[in-house]
Amino acid sequence: MNADLFAAMAQAVVDGDATAAADLARSALDSRIPPAEALDKGFVPGIRTVGELWESGDYFLPELIASAEAMKAAATVLRPALEADGASSSSAGTVVIGTVDGDIHDIGKNLVSAMLTANGFKVIDLGADVKLPAFLEAAERAGADLICLSALLTTTMLGQKRLIELLVERGLRGRFKVLVGGAPTSRRWAEEIGADGYGESAPAAVRAALGLMGKVTS
Amino acid sequence: MSPLVSVLTSGRQIAADVGELLSDLLVREDIPLNLYCGRRGVCGKCFVEVLSGDVPPTDERERTLAKARNLDAGRFRLACRISIRGDLTIRVPDAALIPKTRILAQGTGKEVLLDPTVKKISVRPRRPDLHSPHALLEGLKAGLGLPGLRLSPEALYSAAAALSGSPDEEPTVTAVLGSGDELRGVERGDTSSRLFGLALDLGTTTLAADLVDLGTGAVIETAVGLNGQASFGADVVSRISSAFKDPVQAAALRNAVLESINALLSELQTAAGIRPDEIYETVVAGNTAMSHFFLGLPVDGLAVAPFAGVFCIAPPLPADRSGLRVNPLGRVYLAPNLQSFVGGDITAGVTATDLPSRPGTVLFLDLGTNGELVLKTNRGMTSTSTAAGPAFEGMSISCGLPAQTGAIDKAVLEKNGEIVVRTIGGGPARGVCGTGLVDLIAAFLRRGDLSPDGRVLRPDKRLPVAPGVVLTPQDVREIQLAAAAVKTGMRMLLAAARLEVGDLDEILVAGAFGASLNVENAEAIGLLPRLPGRIEFVGNSSLEGARALLLSGRERLRAEGLARIILHLPLARDAAFERIFVDSLSFREWPEDPALTETPKEDQ
Repeated sequence: MNADLFAAMAQAVVDGDATAAADLARSALDSRIPPAEALDKGFVPGIRTVGELWESGDYFLPELIASAEAMKAAATVLRPALEADGASSSSAGTVVIGTVDGDIHDIGKNLVSAMLTANGFKVIDLGADVKLPAFLEAAERAGADLICLSALLTTTMLGQKRLIELLVERGLRGRFKVLVGGAPTSRRWAEEIGADGYGESAPAAVRAALGLMGKVTS
Repeated sequence: MSPLVSVLTSGRQIAADVGELLSDLLVREDIPLNLYCGRRGVCGKCFVEVLSGDVPPTDERERTLAKARNLDAGRFRLACRISIRGDLTIRVPDAALIPKTRILAQGTGKEVLLDPTVKKISVRPRRPDLHSPHALLEGLKAGLGLPGLRLSPEALYSAAAALSGSPDEEPTVTAVLGSGDELRGVERGDTSSRLFGLALDLGTTTLAADLVDLGTGAVIETAVGLNGQASFGADVVSRISSAFKDPVQAAALRNAVLESINALLSELQTAAGIRPDEIYETVVAGNTAMSHFFLGLPVDGLAVAPFAGVFCIAPPLPADRSGLRVNPLGRVYLAPNLQSFVGGDITAGVTATDLPSRPGTVLFLDLGTNGELVLKTNRGMTSTSTAAGPAFEGMSISCGLPAQTGAIDKAVLEKNGEIVVRTIGGGPARGVCGTGLVDLIAAFLRRGDLSPDGRVLRPDKRLPVAPGVVLTPQDVREIQLAAAAVKTGMRMLLAAARLEVGDLDEILVAGAFGASLNVENAEAIGLLPRLPGRIEFVGNSSLEGARALLLSGRERLRAEGLARIILHLPLARDAAFERIFVDSLSFREWPEDPALTETPKEDQ
């Protein structure tokens, strides 16, 4: 029974159908399915499929955005119930995200931001062209778990390196995990600058974020 | 009663004031008389035929000038030497008019009156003698009729060398004059028919140059070459990155582009039989990054937001500092930049197409690495630039090539479902260039191998084109991104002007594609809106505009004014950008409502 519902939830996300996703979330609550289970067994597998479709070249930005929207719609319905079930399961973690200083590109960052929200993260999106100290201030204020840095220019990706240096200088490196991404970056770059994770695409970034939070993602 | 001047051929009769110069009268009547030396009676270009009437007598200098042109000194007189005393009947030969040059080989460009910022005037300097032991330069000033002649320090040495020669061997010298009566140099003998200029389109990928005769406005030779900076990165951003905070690398980039230009110069000079020192004026039109590299200016500001360049309008550079193999006493002028990402190449394009004066609503679109756009409406002009990326130049595509031998530049879907390709040079296909990519995407869409949202529908996820040439899903995505960037720019410019795409009277397409782009296919994949009969290719308008700026000082003033009157629309800061961009990603024809475009203004 529930298996069909979970499959429909996944499909709604894959289809990018926000209305269907919200409806399915409501019927899950009506059927007294625990909201965390609806998320983990229904919607999250959908977003995982979306990630695979992206990587195979079948999905592109419009599909990815529609799927993120569907995921967000479901999460919005489930959130009150999730929170009622206890804070620990209500949020996958708190993220501060932005595109670094000198860089105004933000489509990719917005997508990661939307998909992190869809996956249950509390996301504080600072926007684009964000001064490095602003990341630290926001992260400290929100008690964030993760700082996600996007850079779309080879000249601005140095900002990612500098942020990590800044964390070390201020003795905050242990407090926050750092996840980097953006067209000119690579896994090697992430390792070189000592980042904790790298997201090649929005779905990959979400997987990495979940992994850093100790959530099983495969 | 005022004297009457009858101009034969035009049949005009013009009332004159006694004492008025004939040249001034003709100019006042809009006859484009060639007053090359500024009415000083030394260049011999404004000879008109006097058929009847009372005119002042000729002097020695005027007779010499007439003789040099095989004209009868009794009948042919310099219009700038005739002070009107009574009725005159004259004929103005074509040779006395300012030569005009048509700019833009393709499409409708503008006519430019020859008015270069450098001129050559041959004179016999007044020779010093015991009664008047004046300095040699004073003799030159007297000969030129220019007591206010200004000298640059370098010109002093050049003048000294030419004027110190024995006047018995060679009594004539040729003065090279820049704007504002500035002496740039002096050459021995009469070299006034040997004055050349270089117009250069300094592209990120390719260079194109015209060697121009500044006496006639004619293009003598044209050459194209590749920008040697390519080894530092295919696109502008990667080159800026490579020079970012690294003066050594920045200097290497400058040297690379100078080497490429100088190679092109040698080729032009050899083909035309011209010496480097006969080129006194150069105009360079390039994007902002290229002009900064060329001048050896730091590009660090262009590397990060807010992407500020050093200059929009640069002073003409002394040629000896430019690194170009031209006359060191010459000048190098940079087509002014409008904005950091709307450079001198666009200013040149706007100049060449005469965009400000075109009637109606016109979109100028340069499809290069950055897709730059300028929208002209009845209320003004707005520019923007889009990060189209180098996909249409064949970069970032797995089988991409620039438009060179072996590149597929055309593809047609036959009735039997077969895709037939044509390569540049006719040989076996080595890859695909921009126009070929547009044709291929259109063909794969029609054949059902590709969905309009860009998904490859073939089970093996490959789009075979020719033996060894295959488009991958990633290639398709790159083309989608590039086309969407351009489309987003168009849509947002129109939206900002509160116009619909159907309101466009013309789209002028310049840049990489040239006329070999198949408009139907560009419309089918949504790169260009479907506006039958309203899309016109204008070719390399950057080079054509550089030539206009080389031929005419007036065009330079107008071009410099563009930076003040063209507004700029930054796209990425607009809240609607992301939505419009994502919406523009699909390979669909637009506008979706064909009623918008049903009434072309002319039948074509």
